[in-house]
Amino acid sequence: MTRLIRIHWLPALFLLPSIASYLLFKYYPLLRMVYISFYQYSIVNPPGVFVGLSNYSQFLRSATFWQAVSNTFIFFALYLALTFWVPIVQALLLSEVRKGNAFFRFMYQLPTIMPVVAGVLVWKWMYNPDFGLLNYWLSKVGLGPYLWLNDLRITKLAIVLPSLFAGSGISLLLYYSAIRAIPTEILEAAKMDGAGPWRRLWTMMLPNIRFIIIIQFVAFMSGVLLAYDNIYVMTQGGPAGSTTVVSMLVVSTAFQQSRFGISGAMSVFMFVMIALLTIVQNKLTVAKD
Amino acid sequence: MNPTSKMSAASSLLILSLVVTACGGGNNEAQSSVSPSASPSASPSAADSSSESPAAVVEIVAWDKPAADSADKAFVEQRQAAFAEQYPNIKVTHVQQTSGKEREQFMTAVAGGEQPDVVTVAYPDMETYVAQGIPADITDLWNASSDKDNFLPSSLNAATIGGKIYGIPKDMYVTGLLYNKKLFAEAGLNPAEALKDWDSFGAAAQQLTNDAKNQYGYAILGMDWADWFFEYYVWQAGGDLTEQQSDGTVKLTFTSDAAVQALQYYKDLKWKYKVTQKNVVQNIDDNQKDFYTGHAASTPGGADWIGNFASKGMSLDDIGFSALPAGPSGTSPSQVGGSYWILNPKADKEKQQAAFTYAMFLSSKETIEANYQYAKDNGIFPNPLTVRKDVEVSQYVDGLPDDLLKSIQDATKETHLEYFLKSRLSAYVVPAVQKVLLSENADPKTELQKAQDLAQTEVADPYNAEIKK
Repeated sequence: MTRLIRIHWLPALFLLPSIASYLLFKYYPLLRMVYISFYQYSIVNPPGVFVGLSNYSQFLRSATFWQAVSNTFIFFALYLALTFWVPIVQALLLSEVRKGNAFFRFMYQLPTIMPVVAGVLVWKWMYNPDFGLLNYWLSKVGLGPYLWLNDLRITKLAIVLPSLFAGSGISLLLYYSAIRAIPTEILEAAKMDGAGPWRRLWTMMLPNIRFIIIIQFVAFMSGVLLAYDNIYVMTQGGPAGSTTVVSMLVVSTAFQQSRFGISGAMSVFMFVMIALLTIVQNKLTVAKD
Repeated sequence: MNPTSKMSAASSLLILSLVVTACGGGNNEAQSSVSPSASPSASPSAADSSSESPAAVVEIVAWDKPAADSADKAFVEQRQAAFAEQYPNIKVTHVQQTSGKEREQFMTAVAGGEQPDVVTVAYPDMETYVAQGIPADITDLWNASSDKDNFLPSSLNAATIGGKIYGIPKDMYVTGLLYNKKLFAEAGLNPAEALKDWDSFGAAAQQLTNDAKNQYGYAILGMDWADWFFEYYVWQAGGDLTEQQSDGTVKLTFTSDAAVQALQYYKDLKWKYKVTQKNVVQNIDDNQKDFYTGHAASTPGGADWIGNFASKGMSLDDIGFSALPAGPSGTSPSQVGGSYWILNPKADKEKQQAAFTYAMFLSSKETIEANYQYAKDNGIFPNPLTVRKDVEVSQYVDGLPDDLLKSIQDATKETHLEYFLKSRLSAYVVPAVQKVLLSENADPKTELQKAQDLAQTEVADPYNAEIKK
């Protein structure tokens, strides 16, 4: 009788540490979070009182929560409109550059070595209404001064703006690699057949890097919907709660208000929401294929 | 599974990890070190005659390691070494907390079953921590201590809940209005008249505001701690933001006349008098910096800030301290704050006794006097308030301006604790304050009503239901 399953021990051995760390540091905390969400959690005598879905109903009825959800999706829309397409355009342009290509790629990568928080702090100084560089430059052309982080109308934009200039390093490389993987003969043949730059872009280049765009979009979506550090450093969620996003509310509910059960329930909600969005996006992509 | 599905699955895992990360808070990056080895020659008299070194070695963890740039690092380490010498059988591991992240770090440790045996906690946190059972009930330990009567009764107020004692007083401060005497003199202002009431202060602050010199009258606190100083104005108007009822429940009074008047005055300072900094939500450190660099002519603050200002180069002769201008009620209570040592309720009796002994040692007459002497020797402006009755602060303040000391002492005559349930309600009061500071059209009453409605359903109702269970 032949064995139906052959175990390749060596690959399994290599995989073991990552599987173990995933189970320990990802799945266990996730399941624990779901468990906590059903309790009026006591951190001193866990788990506290079982309250069923009460934590969920509490935050779902909370205007503060929905304000944070609204802020989160406004940020998502702003990041999408202002930053997501930038590395695609940069990669397309870079693929046309023959001379000094490596230099440009290096220069695009350079900002990515700067820690996110350090970059945000630099921008925070630039936004300072009294001695910030941005208002100084704008004053030279008769504009401003603007209260970048104080004005309820523009604070969100001010938080997103830095990503427009220095947030595309790795994405750009991925897009660039995908573009370079398109066989040159095909592009040359299209050129010979009279396809102009726009036609080649829409019918050949973008479809060929579509897979990378989808991957990047999924990562982008989860990254933006769970954004925390850059917003926290810039505004701590203020002014007047105008930049408080759900991940920030999760942390403050747990660690400032000591309501760990509700905080866990919010986290589960966010997880389910992002998972659903990912699934929907996946289905739409498959349907289009 | 097609490639896209694989990526979706991978992304979902990423999302999981991020959600979990967001839920987990900051890491404890604390460093620890074992205290110096003990010497058997010491006597156990400094802290408390009832505290003796245990027969067997007891190891405790204290979150009290000073930061590398702390002004009193040498002093704290010297006292820790003195304790190790005096109590050879109590081994203390000192752990440093991350500045500005102390609360999150502590709650993470508690949630992870790693609560330190002894740690300091600020006054406003006591009520919520006690409600969750975080600090140990030390009533028996306290009552057994022969040193207990040497502490000011008022120093125990915020640690006494339901007749039980949960904290050992560590330090106290009193707040008021810090003002730059030099700028007041240049503007021809007499501080006593200028700081008399809200109207006189508004007019004086206008005289102190000069855009050409990048100087303004009043550093307003509009960041996410905005309720801290705003509550003083509510007191000045004769009210408070909350009331604790006799059954322990909370009643919100955000929309009381006093609170509305206070917020209207805040609004006036910004939009009518135009005497605040442009960036009204700037960090409190920036407010302080504006003050000691001479950009801000006044700021609310603690008397214990004066030492920091002096260390940054501001002359003590230029620093004035006063009660805040009186509001419509004609009064101007100062806020008393401070911190307590709390013990871990899950630690065994030996550890609790050892932690109590350690905390009492650090709040002992000997330690507090040594602290004042250290400040005097090193030119550090001392905290004029102490938790003990048997320490004579005046012995350690030679050469300091008499009027400054007198005004600080005067500020302690009428004091107030912060509003009840602040740690949970702060997130609701602050946006209302920020709205009127950021928008000229915002109506104080409307914003406070919105804040109260939200806080009622999201905090007060659930809290009161918990209390009534």
